[in-house]
Amino acid sequence: MVYRMIFENILHRPIRTLVSVLAVAIEVGMVMLVVGMTHGMLHETAKRVEGVGADIMVQPPQASLFFGLTQAPMPIKIGDRLAEIPHVLSVAPVLFLFNAHGGINLIYGIDPASFNRVSGGFAFLKGGPLVNPYDILVDNWYARSNNVKVGQTLSLLNHNFHVTGIVEHGKGARLFIPLSTAQDLSGAHDKASIFFVKCTDPGYTHAVMHSIRELLPQHQVLSIREYMSLMTSNNLPALTAFITAMISVAVGIGFLVIFLSMYTTITERTREIGILKSLGAGKRYIMGVILREAGLLSIIGILAGYAGTWLVKRAIVATFPTLTVELTLHWALWAGLLAIGGSLLGAFYPAIRAARLDPVDSLAYE
Amino acid sequence: MGSIFLATTECETKETDRTGCMEPIISTANLRKVYRVGKVDVPALRGVNFVVQEGEFVAVVGPSGCGKSTLLHVLGGLTRPTSGEVLVDGNNFTCMNDAERTKFRRHKIGFVFQRYNLLPTLTARHNIVIAQHIQGDGFNPHRFDSVAEMLGIKDKLNRKPYALSGGEQQRVAIARAVICEPKLLLADEPTGNLDTENSQLVLNMLRALNRDFRQTIVMITHNPEAASVADRIVRMRDGRVVSD
Repeated sequence: MVYRMIFENILHRPIRTLVSVLAVAIEVGMVMLVVGMTHGMLHETAKRVEGVGADIMVQPPQASLFFGLTQAPMPIKIGDRLAEIPHVLSVAPVLFLFNAHGGINLIYGIDPASFNRVSGGFAFLKGGPLVNPYDILVDNWYARSNNVKVGQTLSLLNHNFHVTGIVEHGKGARLFIPLSTAQDLSGAHDKASIFFVKCTDPGYTHAVMHSIRELLPQHQVLSIREYMSLMTSNNLPALTAFITAMISVAVGIGFLVIFLSMYTTITERTREIGILKSLGAGKRYIMGVILREAGLLSIIGILAGYAGTWLVKRAIVATFPTLTVELTLHWALWAGLLAIGGSLLGAFYPAIRAARLDPVDSLAYE
Repeated sequence: MGSIFLATTECETKETDRTGCMEPIISTANLRKVYRVGKVDVPALRGVNFVVQEGEFVAVVGPSGCGKSTLLHVLGGLTRPTSGEVLVDGNNFTCMNDAERTKFRRHKIGFVFQRYNLLPTLTARHNIVIAQHIQGDGFNPHRFDSVAEMLGIKDKLNRKPYALSGGEQQRVAIARAVICEPKLLLADEPTGNLDTENSQLVLNMLRALNRDFRQTIVMITHNPEAASVADRIVRMRDGRVVSD
């Protein structure tokens, strides 16, 4: 009976219901999309680095896990010394360049021969390898996102590059230029940002890492497995703070809208509350009606939020193919719980206020 | 039966006193109610002494502002008296807190208001059923059918209040008030918003409830014709009972 009354109340004020449901849906959508995009981008970046095929990566001291954020290249000769370590099959030096023109992109400056030895070579979907200094390879996600074709000219880093090939994504970056060109453009002659090291057998990884640390005690030496495990938002304090802030804003929106909605409801329905009290409804009953109504609005909003999030994800991926949105059941449940919690909290004061209304005054309310 | 709602030792003494003799269902002694309006105390009841026996139909009449509605609100437990004594079915409202009076009202009292006070979002059927739901005894289809039949609203049950005439709304309100078989029915100007025909219909129904089911009714009105259907007429003026 209570649910019928709540259901009728919800239908009776369609605009209020719509606004409340929308606020909760936006709350759920914000939580899921912010978390989904940050986690998705992190995981996708990590997977691409894993896709290079190396077992170990060597970076300069204090280098960031986010490639391209720090410019502290190492002498390229280090690569020769790394190659001499027992059980090292090949070493690929890469120089990172950060392009902010027409979108933010990390460009790998590669030596095609060594990079192919470590990675097993690119899978060309169209075109062919780098030949000339201002040739560029793009992966298929970038090509689809920016409508790039083989043979066209790409303007990056204030230079025009000739697209020679479109490769399967998943080899570290989305854009690849020759190492020497990258060195010229950045003024880092005979330098590299990272060395990808491939062992003769993955079982030698720890032994090789030990040898590298003896050789380069100040440098960062990570196995790819360690790198993968570090690429989570928990290991990135700024990102965790960002996610927490965004979730707080989302929950705050839901809380405030439900608070306002239920507060308005109490004012509008003062007389009805008086009627219920004249029938003998106690404070708990009145509070139960208000909180259950907020809960029901919240559940409808959560379901709408799930559907909306799924649609937005599809729209994002269709519009920006290079973006990854990772929606998980875990965060869907968390978003739902936060939405319900925020809504009930928002409805709590209005519910208490309704329960405390004087029945005589309520019945006289116009 | 009434003693289950008693709260204090003083109240229990009064319950003991009445053992062995027929006690009235309503008994007030020097009942006062003062409202605070801003910084001014406004006395609404100034020492009301008033008794109603079980099964009586009593009309309370008097000019506007004489305290009739306040008396009804106090008798229904909607508001607490400022001083004096009010015993309803053996329970002293002066000793009871808001929750106890609410519980008492839920089980023992039915209200009929001048403005019907139906829940606008619910159908007539659900406006009646909700009273049973709040009481907690669940839906009693036999009782529901007999009340709807008696009040002639069986074919209106699926309509919402806005689709009912004033007379029909008031009959639904009466059905809601009596569905839980209250000991006391309190009616506040039940014909105040109705035309003559519907007023007579509603009064006849109240009369029938009192006659056929010995339903105790206290009805407030300033309409002498409406008051005339009652067994007894109590007149109020300036917060006091002036004739009984």
